[in-house]
Amino acid sequence: MALRELSSLEKSLGLKKPKKYSTQGDNKVPVLQNNNGPSLTGLVTIATHLVQEANRSELLGSSAEQRALVQQWLEYRVTKLDNCPKEDIKTIFKDLNLYLEDKVYLAGNNFTLADTLMYYGIHHIMVDLAVQEKEKWANVTRWFDHVQHYPGVRHHLPPVVVLRNRFYPSGHH
Amino acid sequence: MKLFLSKGNPHCVKVLAAAELAGIKCDISYVNHEERVVPYLSHAAVPALELPSGLHLFSANAICRFFFETGGRDPSSLTNQWLEWEATELQPTLSQALHLRALQGKGAESAAALLPPLSFLEQSLQKRATPFLCGDEVTVADIVLWGALYPVLSDSSFMTGERAQLGGWFERVSVLQPCQLAVGAVLSGKGVEPLKGYLQKQPLPHIQRRETQPSNQ
Repeated sequence: MALRELSSLEKSLGLKKPKKYSTQGDNKVPVLQNNNGPSLTGLVTIATHLVQEANRSELLGSSAEQRALVQQWLEYRVTKLDNCPKEDIKTIFKDLNLYLEDKVYLAGNNFTLADTLMYYGIHHIMVDLAVQEKEKWANVTRWFDHVQHYPGVRHHLPPVVVLRNRFYPSGHH
Repeated sequence: MKLFLSKGNPHCVKVLAAAELAGIKCDISYVNHEERVVPYLSHAAVPALELPSGLHLFSANAICRFFFETGGRDPSSLTNQWLEWEATELQPTLSQALHLRALQGKGAESAAALLPPLSFLEQSLQKRATPFLCGDEVTVADIVLWGALYPVLSDSSFMTGERAQLGGWFERVSVLQPCQLAVGAVLSGKGVEPLKGYLQKQPLPHIQRRETQPSNQ
């Protein structure tokens, strides 16, 4: 799963030459093979490295504060979301929904790497959400829809249907 | 900036040491382990940092990283890799080991659980042969790993087998004044004893958690 994400990320960053990866351990942690130096291990570490290689450092945040927020949500993705027991998914949605109430993206008003990786990580849950649940978590659904329509992000994942009129009241658009 | 800490929480040792090392001045408040500092989180999240913008950082490692960056030290890929390893590999094992040792008195099982990550650290330090994890200078990775492992490595009975590199590295970080200051402010002694109150408020660690991870392959 992580390898497919990284390959999609490479494409969305416009990196031309596909990278070589392997996985490590029972948890299939991704490892980026590097001919010129030591390999890199871990989804967040590799994704951050790819963004730097593509000279898209704005995707890691444009200030120390925003960079810390981006890294915080990247860590959240691999520590909280990835290993989430079924009974805790509701809490994650509740918290995210409240957090995203006054934000367009996870680190504020700019799209960052945190949005891409959280989107990849939450996609399999969003696919199975009933319409009522999507309405209940309206801020998460709105954020998710923004990200899946962000140019070049979706790649290997099927689109999730969102009844836009319910999340974009006519008065605002 | 407002920094929220609680006594006996090893994550608070990390952030306080990082703030001191980077020379960042914060308005520090000590709160209970259950205090909900971050308005949008259902669970208590201490340490937490209220940023000038009003947003909160609730990840100890992100706070440490922010302090180092504000102090002018950007993390390298190697630093990032250690921070990710700490959060994804070490923490799940460590919280289980601390729980076993401090609350259930199962010292041997606790030491056995920690064997793989401690051996990995020992081998990595041996291979690199530098005083600190990422080179000749202390980085945010050293502070984060040192803070996480302080309750374990400061207790000599917890250490089994020969780990000369790990022991040497731990000493080098422990003697730094900001680290001594952080331990003195947050913990009331060595080993797992000062953590009991904190650990009792944490959800039960479960090691099989990875099996719930979905696979799309």
